Amino acid sequence: MAFNLTRRKFLQSASLAAVALPLSKAIASESGVTRSPFEAKGSSGDKTVTGGICEMCFWRCQLVGKTRNDRLVKLEGNPKSIDNGTSLCARGNAGIKLLYDPDRLKYPLKNVGKRGAPKWKRISWDEALDECGKKLNMIKDKYGPQGISVFPHGSTAKYPMHFFERTVGTPNISEASFFQCRGIRDTAYLATIGIPPGEKVDMPNAKVIFLLGGHFGENVHVSHIKSYMKGLQNGAKLIVVDPRYSASAAKSDIWVKIKPGTDTAFLLSIMQYLIEKGKYAVDFIDEYGDGFEEFAEGIKGWTLDKAAKECDIPAKQIKEVADMLADNAPNVSIHPGRHVSWYGNDFQRQRSLACLTGILGAFYVKGGWVPAKGPKVGKISWKHKEHEEEHNLNVNSDDELYHPYTPPGTPTELIRDAALTGKPYPIKGCVIWGQNPIQTIPDQEKMKQVLKQMDFVMCVDVMPTDVTMWADILLPEVSYLERYDLIKTGTQWDFSEKHQQYISARMPIVPPLFERKDQVYITNEIARRMGYQEDIPVKTIEELVEKNLKVAGLSIEQLKKEDGIHIREGKDPYTMPEDFEIIFYNEDIEDSGFPGIPTYIPVEQPPEGFARLLYGRVPVHTFNRSQNNVWLNAAMPTNPVWLNDALAKKMGLKDGDEVGFINQDGIKSRTTTTVKTTPGIRKDCVYMGHGYGSANPLMSVGVGAGVDDTSLITKITIDPETGCNGMRNNFIKFTKDGKTIDIPTAV
Amino acid sequence: MQYGMIIDLERCVGCHACTIACKAEWEVPVEFGRNWVYRIGPALVGEEMASTYYPGLCNHCSEPVCVEECPADTIEMTFTDVKTGKTEVLEVAATWKDPFDGTVQIDKSRCIGCGACVDACPYNARYINPNQTDDVSEDGKADKCTYCKPRIDSGMEPACVQTCITGARIFGDLDDPGSEVSQYVKKGAKGIEPEGGELGPNSRYYGKKKDMALLFNTHTPELADMHQVRRRAMLASMVKPAIKTIKNIGLLGVAGAIIAKHSAGQDTQE
Repeated sequence: MAFNLTRRKFLQSASLAAVALPLSKAIASESGVTRSPFEAKGSSGDKTVTGGICEMCFWRCQLVGKTRNDRLVKLEGNPKSIDNGTSLCARGNAGIKLLYDPDRLKYPLKNVGKRGAPKWKRISWDEALDECGKKLNMIKDKYGPQGISVFPHGSTAKYPMHFFERTVGTPNISEASFFQCRGIRDTAYLATIGIPPGEKVDMPNAKVIFLLGGHFGENVHVSHIKSYMKGLQNGAKLIVVDPRYSASAAKSDIWVKIKPGTDTAFLLSIMQYLIEKGKYAVDFIDEYGDGFEEFAEGIKGWTLDKAAKECDIPAKQIKEVADMLADNAPNVSIHPGRHVSWYGNDFQRQRSLACLTGILGAFYVKGGWVPAKGPKVGKISWKHKEHEEEHNLNVNSDDELYHPYTPPGTPTELIRDAALTGKPYPIKGCVIWGQNPIQTIPDQEKMKQVLKQMDFVMCVDVMPTDVTMWADILLPEVSYLERYDLIKTGTQWDFSEKHQQYISARMPIVPPLFERKDQVYITNEIARRMGYQEDIPVKTIEELVEKNLKVAGLSIEQLKKEDGIHIREGKDPYTMPEDFEIIFYNEDIEDSGFPGIPTYIPVEQPPEGFARLLYGRVPVHTFNRSQNNVWLNAAMPTNPVWLNDALAKKMGLKDGDEVGFINQDGIKSRTTTTVKTTPGIRKDCVYMGHGYGSANPLMSVGVGAGVDDTSLITKITIDPETGCNGMRNNFIKFTKDGKTIDIPTAV
Repeated sequence: MQYGMIIDLERCVGCHACTIACKAEWEVPVEFGRNWVYRIGPALVGEEMASTYYPGLCNHCSEPVCVEECPADTIEMTFTDVKTGKTEVLEVAATWKDPFDGTVQIDKSRCIGCGACVDACPYNARYINPNQTDDVSEDGKADKCTYCKPRIDSGMEPACVQTCITGARIFGDLDDPGSEVSQYVKKGAKGIEPEGGELGPNSRYYGKKKDMALLFNTHTPELADMHQVRRRAMLASMVKPAIKTIKNIGLLGVAGAIIAKHSAGQDTQE
């Protein structure tokens, strides 16, 4: 090892000092050295502040803060929590680096440059709010409320979203969590079992856990991982279906290395095989099933061999999976997934998953799909006012819905297309609250054009992001550690334990710094300026929380006394609701012009020289929101691209080579990343972590770190039933040293 | 007593909660870590696909190679058994192995920051913390995992164990046959012994056969070149106390220290 530290630096500084300064001065500069505290104190002596709820992701673990001289030094899981306990994930632990991030938004800012190339001027809250109120009113008066579009995300965005949707009256709300993430899952299960499924599988008590694309470990939500691990430790078998040997595949009993886009064929053949062999929950389906015969008839063609060919996996592996599920039914966790906006054929796949759960009789049974029975709290927000229906962009001239199974809001592309064409009406206002549509929605150039044509764009966030560069007015929000906010409810996650419920409200751990404000203040002040003062539902965010807690017989004061979490007796979650049914063949879906029996729709395959771009989570980032966190960045500073090792050899690439990308539309990545060669990925696809490569120079840590996968997703695919985006139909080649390298996927 | 930590690779999901919690607890500079998580694979182990993690930390070795290399002046130090109150006096340099709990610790106030221990450790478990400086050691002090000794002495768990979301980190006394860590050792938990070394690492790994093979095949280190380490330590020990003495007298600055120990100035290159 190199002898490189102390003495060389000593000499360098010494000789400099000797040249530059008389000796007396050199002595002066060396004297008065104060001893730094050598050993960190550790947090055990620090003051504990309870009542926090994490928002480094949406899972909302309950936490406590350790404060030293009013400065937060550490976050820990709340020991009283029956959800996450004393655990937090990497992101939760790194929350203090968001709180004290020097790049955080501090004051209201006005863009005196151009959208996309901003010059920021600090302005007062009054000036900022006046501007927002005036501009939004101008748009409303000129174009109607529907001329305002809203891109919300996170718990602070709910209150302003309800204001714009319910009170002002725009239907043009695009929530990323629906249209680019889980909306398809929710409406597909709604159309099958009448309930959005959440991730409510009873994994701790399952005999088999079945993950389709789920990559736990890379994707981390604390109590969910706890219940997954409890299941595995209790002896559950794990089946993982993924083109890549994911973190979950590494723990699996069966890894199904499926061809991307073909999952529905795989699921249909499992069901067809089980029905054919009579290995399904006959009595359960008799009692709760609807349209089963039509369904069974309709999927008959899906033999193991046919699916094996389509999915590029052995038929005997499909049989092995089917048998393992049937042999352990009904105690099997068929995981509904979460981010399911994949290929534009996703509604049918999610319906298939719900049907598979039904075939196995795995609803409301140990180890199956079991929704916990949590406590009720208030949901105070803005009231619905009467608004005209005719501005729904999702309605065609025959008064039918283009996308009948859309999640709440308006499908993103309908909003963006209307904005760009002015038809059927112009959309000239944009309120972006906690969302980063540039790194979330496919085709960044389209998003930029949409923003360019707006009369007014306002953003509210805690951090600068790629989209805040496009704001006219940029407002700084308090973080989750500095505000009252949502109420988190739930139950213990292992249903074999005593049934308990909990209620916990987000309460500030530390007071806000600079001029940051909360969502109730900001929304109310804009509402006042738009003439809606009579409609304001609560004066402060504290009042909101207080009123919502009151519904459960609680108060902020009481919660504080109980260390931030109120725990009470729970209910048995396994009792089946009386009206429960599983709609295998859904006539309504068929009536609206889509397959009423779950149907496989093949997707486009990569052209020669290209591989399909797959993306997913890394455990230290939540979407693109945590890019600038200095601890999380240090843990995984870039997002290496997974490339099949045989392909890499053919392409002359090795581990660690720096590469860029070019996609099927000729769009190049702005930055580069390293190659990770592995046998653990198929040859027709490459993979990289999402949440990297920000273009905003105000994110001094995250800017240009890794590659922005969303920048390469330019081809837009729409899941027809729902109007949600499919984001895995883009194909890329590599670039290195200015040259393009084809990916010889046929090797 | 010998404290030890088991990392259960069957449970570990590679989430990095442990490394970040440690950073917060002990104010570890961004670019360093007292512990780490490396992802290994996917790679073939024989015919089988495998992928696992190397969640590493100080091994608090039974025969630590780092301790002997410390060139700082020795002192007599009285150790106390937290549980029994029993005491023992040992002559130690600035780093030592605790005779009661078996942990390896550093006295920051006497560390001269020479980095000999850092170089001696085959696991790269030590680093020089640039935030911990004084006039003896302006480049910083050696720093590493202490098994959260201040916490465990007051009855708490190590910070990484407390936050671990899957219970993959288990801490306890390896000398107590009834402890959970000892049960893991009986089941086959193993420390990563360097090539040809007999250090007796007390942070140990348990997992599926293929995952253990992958971990040990890829992360078994070599012992450090002790000649290099010692040469460095010797030179540092010659320079450092001199600087300290001279500074304390207040006559000369750094330049003077170098002049005073000009012989040490000969060896400045890598």
